[in-house]
Amino acid sequence: MLAGSSLGLSREETRSKPDALLSAAADQTTRYEGSGGPLLQLSDVSKYFGKTPALSNVNLTVNRGETVAIVGPSGSGKTTLLRCINFLVPYDSGRILVNGRLVGYREQQGDTVRDTGHNVNEIRKRIGMVFQQFNLFPHRTVLGNLIEGPLYVLRITRSEAVTRAQAALELIGLMDKVEAYPDQLSGGQQQRVAIARALCMEPELMLFDEVTSALDPELVGEVLSVMRQLARKGMTMVVVTHEMEFARDVADRVVFMEASKIVTDQPASDFFERPSTPRIGAFLSRLSLPRNSD
Amino acid sequence: MIQFAKDYIPLYFAGTLVALGVAALSMALSVGIGLLGALGRMSGNRTARSVTSAYVAFFRGIPPLVLLYVVYFGLPSWAQELGVRPLADFLAPLNNRIMSAVVAFGVNSGAYSTEIIRSAIASIHPEQMEAAQSLGMSYWLAMRRIIVPQSARVAFPPLGNEFIAVLKGTSLASVIGVTELMRDAQLVAAATFRNLAAYTLAAVFYVVLVIILQSVVGRLERRLSLVHK
Repeated sequence: MLAGSSLGLSREETRSKPDALLSAAADQTTRYEGSGGPLLQLSDVSKYFGKTPALSNVNLTVNRGETVAIVGPSGSGKTTLLRCINFLVPYDSGRILVNGRLVGYREQQGDTVRDTGHNVNEIRKRIGMVFQQFNLFPHRTVLGNLIEGPLYVLRITRSEAVTRAQAALELIGLMDKVEAYPDQLSGGQQQRVAIARALCMEPELMLFDEVTSALDPELVGEVLSVMRQLARKGMTMVVVTHEMEFARDVADRVVFMEASKIVTDQPASDFFERPSTPRIGAFLSRLSLPRNSD
Repeated sequence: MIQFAKDYIPLYFAGTLVALGVAALSMALSVGIGLLGALGRMSGNRTARSVTSAYVAFFRGIPPLVLLYVVYFGLPSWAQELGVRPLADFLAPLNNRIMSAVVAFGVNSGAYSTEIIRSAIASIHPEQMEAAQSLGMSYWLAMRRIIVPQSARVAFPPLGNEFIAVLKGTSLASVIGVTELMRDAQLVAAATFRNLAAYTLAAVFYVVLVIILQSVVGRLERRLSLVHK
């Protein structure tokens, strides 16, 4: 349930960016027109599991083409934050806008009510997600995994879907694995296929949930390099990660979360070079980040 | 004995075909019920959950022979006495022995299939549903395209066993006069007074049938396997 009062924006925000937020809230027919504004906006988002807060009044804006890394100790709410964005986890209050469209809820005669499954799916189509455990479909080949969504959700033709799949396989460098089944691939290969599966939906936003945490160390690099390419191509990405080197080299901004709150949100270079709180300094030193060579 | 077998094997073959047919139809009904039952058992809807749980508890508890008597001797005549025309018409097909047998065995076995399919669906990691939903699939599309196809592979071996149990159970249909394998054996025994030979031959037929079925199930199981290494 969405409490009425916590739903609205705080005063400051209403004043600072009234247009994007309010017009989107008022006009639910606005969807995905290619405006230059922010692609993802979270305002005052909270989520409780029972009485335990998982997210407390989280505010975050991600602009088109940006890569934002979310880091922080385990249990700090990073994954919950990510899963709220495509509504795999329904948030309790606040609002999440993707391309100006409210995720998971809609206005109805002044009230905010849970949106229909259909509308939630419409938004999910445009948001790719990659999971820690890959979650490929084991009963389908690599090609089958890649064309499943385009065929049955986007309902494009088979040949179009196969063309997309081939392009995605080329990007991840696994053209020779088209007919392989997921359990015939290494973890790194599976995760690259999972990225390709999300890309075949041609999403405007990609969410990465600790995608290298389940991999053997020597397989991490190949997955990160695919993500690097994506960032370079201008994909908008939100990356929950423990790979600090990746965050430093690829992310535009680093968001540090702790105890269900966003503690800092700053450019990647600042985050690593000038930790703004002792807590972040301690967090970073425990991770023993390799020093920048230059 | 050899002459005996030679004389009656064609008759036993006919009975075998009837037994297989009844078993196949019963199993089709059973799996249909099982699929609906499993979805009901796992549904978010409380009524659906209680109805399907009650069905499983009830029909697992009734011996198939008792159920067969209720269905064949009980239901059509009860509807007739009640005088409710649509109900009587609806239940009239149960006057057919084979139809009654299929319904009784199907509904009985459906309780087991419900549990088999439910646990098969439950064995698929919830992450598969999440992955499907993250692609924008609805719950039902994800069920149809992702969850059920994987569950089918898990459910297949126990459903194969269930089919074998149903096949052996079709021998009960002999008591309402379905001329399946067991009934043929009874007729032969009555006509020849060679009880041991008549029933042993039926037993041999059942055993051979089950062995063949088991190897077919095993082969299909390997083909359907999710492991590709």
